[in-house]
Amino acid sequence: MKKNLFIKSLHALIFLIVLAMSGCSMGPAVQPWEKETLARPEMTFGGDKLDTGYTEHIYSSKEAASGGAGVGGGGCGCN
Amino acid sequence: MTSITKTTSNVVSAAIVTAAMALPSLQFACADTAPERGIVSFKYLNYQESQGSLSQYSSSSSSSSSSSTSSSGKVHSENDNDNHAIWIDTISGATAVATSTATTPTVVTPKTLSTTTSSTAHDRISVNAYSVMALVPIAGVWSFGTTYISDSVSGASPTYHTSGLTTMHDARQSVDAQLTRYFSSGNVSAGTSYSKESDYLSRSYSLQGSLSTEDKNTTFTLGGSLTDDTINPSTMPNLNAKKTTHAGLIGITRVLTKNDIVQFNLGYSEGEGYYSDPYKYYDNRPGHRNNTTALARWNHHFEGTDGTVHLSYRYYSDTFGIRAHTLDTEYVQPLQNGWAVTPLLRLYTQNEADFYIATGAAEKADPTVITAPPLSATYYSEDQRLSAMGALTVGLKVSKQLNHDWLVDAKVEFYEQRSQWALSGKADTALAPFSARSIQLGISREF
Repeated sequence: MKKNLFIKSLHALIFLIVLAMSGCSMGPAVQPWEKETLARPEMTFGGDKLDTGYTEHIYSSKEAASGGAGVGGGGCGCN
Repeated sequence: MTSITKTTSNVVSAAIVTAAMALPSLQFACADTAPERGIVSFKYLNYQESQGSLSQYSSSSSSSSSSSTSSSGKVHSENDNDNHAIWIDTISGATAVATSTATTPTVVTPKTLSTTTSSTAHDRISVNAYSVMALVPIAGVWSFGTTYISDSVSGASPTYHTSGLTTMHDARQSVDAQLTRYFSSGNVSAGTSYSKESDYLSRSYSLQGSLSTEDKNTTFTLGGSLTDDTINPSTMPNLNAKKTTHAGLIGITRVLTKNDIVQFNLGYSEGEGYYSDPYKYYDNRPGHRNNTTALARWNHHFEGTDGTVHLSYRYYSDTFGIRAHTLDTEYVQPLQNGWAVTPLLRLYTQNEADFYIATGAAEKADPTVITAPPLSATYYSEDQRLSAMGALTVGLKVSKQLNHDWLVDAKVEFYEQRSQWALSGKADTALAPFSARSIQLGISREF
């Protein structure tokens, strides 16, 4: 049951994002003067680079999966 | 093309294909602007992991330590009745050497030392790391970014499943640099990185470009990288093994509303070379590993609370047979006087690699009896990181903007990994649960 719920939530999330990206269900295009919020650091996908660097490094050395957000960055002997 | 765009689920792939086809014919002409201010950041990391014992392992600590300090553990083969013996000898407390009468003799030594003394605290690896980052705008249309990381790793690590601890010490230093040129509707960035450990050298080169539509609401990104690694384990210092990885990524970022932005990335990577872990018993992995990732991210700002939620899901699949799902969520809540708090939650699950060898019955009864892979197996590994499992992270980050220039932050995270939490695959329930705690302290200044 738990597994089904988890998988279903994931599918719902993916569906929402895909739907959102298609733009069909959304209103008119956002205008330049409406982008004050979008310019805030927490609304970007960049994040805290050093934090992300540590975190991704730890996860890639303890789990089999890695990557997804970008290219480049060196390998290490930890995995 | 019309058939592809018929269904909603295919819209994204269609958009990506269109973007890929359109890229070469479009000019990189006005999107991002170079950062107006430079930034220098420093961050300290303290990481400590530990591994508990399962109840049936209550005697394992003492027996496994005695086996390593004196002499022998015996290998039990689950899949055939051929009891070829494996001896674990500790030679003057420095190296553990295993030889086998079977076809593949195995030599095992951690990076520097190996005296196995399982403490009751079950501490494993601990890491102290320092990193510095600088980003400098140049002449309004360029930026140069660089990061330096120094870490020191020490502690105990299992040589098979969650047993056979050996201690190790190593230091890693890495540096990377990126140069970015901004145009009126996009940017191009070239980067390189270099990382060195006593037994591992990695060099990487990358190139990435992005292009925005005229209204700046949609951005396409295309990137590629080449990574060249050289591996010289302390047990085989002249091995000079190589690993070469080519990776590519294509992504689309789209502004949906004034409070919503989403991103979808597809990544593919092809690697050739040495993938085995030279410090583990019975570890012989395929000489190539290709993986595919799909990442979807969504940032939403709540006007009511002035908070922002980050939601992301990653699907990972590779030729080792690993399929993994990662769900990440965090919520940034700005408070008075420049303070902000960010609680986070991460859920992860993977199934086991095709060649993962689960803990055998004899090893379950006595962890010093190492489960041997079947003689017919070409590839095998008893690395717990290739087993089916699930993991949970909870964390909290607190930051304070001191003034126009200075920002300080602190973050704490707790991580727990258990085979019982695997949502797919065959859980090796004899593996002991693994947990880790990390603390980060950071300071940065804009100028």
